[in-house]
Amino acid sequence: MAGLKTIIVLSFILAIGFLLVILSSALFGPNYFPLLVVATYVLAPLPNAICSRCAMPDDFIESGSSGFVDFGRFLTGFLVVTGMALPALLAHSGIIQIPAMIMSIIGGLLVYGTVVSFGMFFQEETDF
Amino acid sequence: MTTSRLWRFPMPKLPSNPVLRTAGVYTAGALFALGFWFFIDASVYSKVANRSDVHVKFVDWIPLICSILGMLVINSIEKSRLSADSFSYSGGGVAWKARLVLFTGFALMAGGLSGSITVLVLKYVVPGYPWPTLYFGVANVVGNAAIMLSCIVLWVSQNIEEDYTYNLSL
Repeated sequence: MAGLKTIIVLSFILAIGFLLVILSSALFGPNYFPLLVVATYVLAPLPNAICSRCAMPDDFIESGSSGFVDFGRFLTGFLVVTGMALPALLAHSGIIQIPAMIMSIIGGLLVYGTVVSFGMFFQEETDF
Repeated sequence: MTTSRLWRFPMPKLPSNPVLRTAGVYTAGALFALGFWFFIDASVYSKVANRSDVHVKFVDWIPLICSILGMLVINSIEKSRLSADSFSYSGGGVAWKARLVLFTGFALMAGGLSGSITVLVLKYVVPGYPWPTLYFGVANVVGNAAIMLSCIVLWVSQNIEEDYTYNLSL
């Protein structure tokens, strides 16, 4: 039952994720590059949402319609790995420190997990 | 299909599972990101934290650009048109055109991988640079190899899809 409790838990996790990312930016000598992780993970569910509208999955005659869906999934995988690779890149070049990298990766994963599970819990039934 | 087969050993049957196909496409995207960011990491490191005189220049970028273009070309092709010769309704040499474009894509991709190895050897190994500089060349090779692997995974998983719809239409 996806009710009020789920919303409260999810918003808590979202807040913790944002807190971790902002702390990772602010604690270790304020530089705000780790906030890019949040942008990446907020963008990550978008390609699937857009591309599933573009494609018509019940259209069996045109077999090429799943190209949009595949492209959306490809972009999603790209963005999720980007969210993890970006802090590692910044830490490797010495722009941010290693603890900031760890905190921003964990925070970004929490934000993305919240967005994905929100979509799973409150998915509307498709009407055909 | 089975009567006009050319090879004596049949192609091993790919598991036609839509879940596996979805996972394959996600994995392809992840591998692509891995390769791409590996090289971006090398160039950022070269710009920010580099202590030697050797930097990542445009020469290092050419193999990656070739690989990405090749991947774009290969995966823009509709795979079912490759075997279009066996169907009667597809005239006009569609399969021939598809094979030509696909050949261009594969040439770009192989050129990218071998070009990255060339850059590694000629720019970094032969002058004998130590590790943090050698990393630029190694990251170049790893990035191009990951993009090639991503292309292979995407190709195989799209073939899974093809098999699946074939079974569905029967």
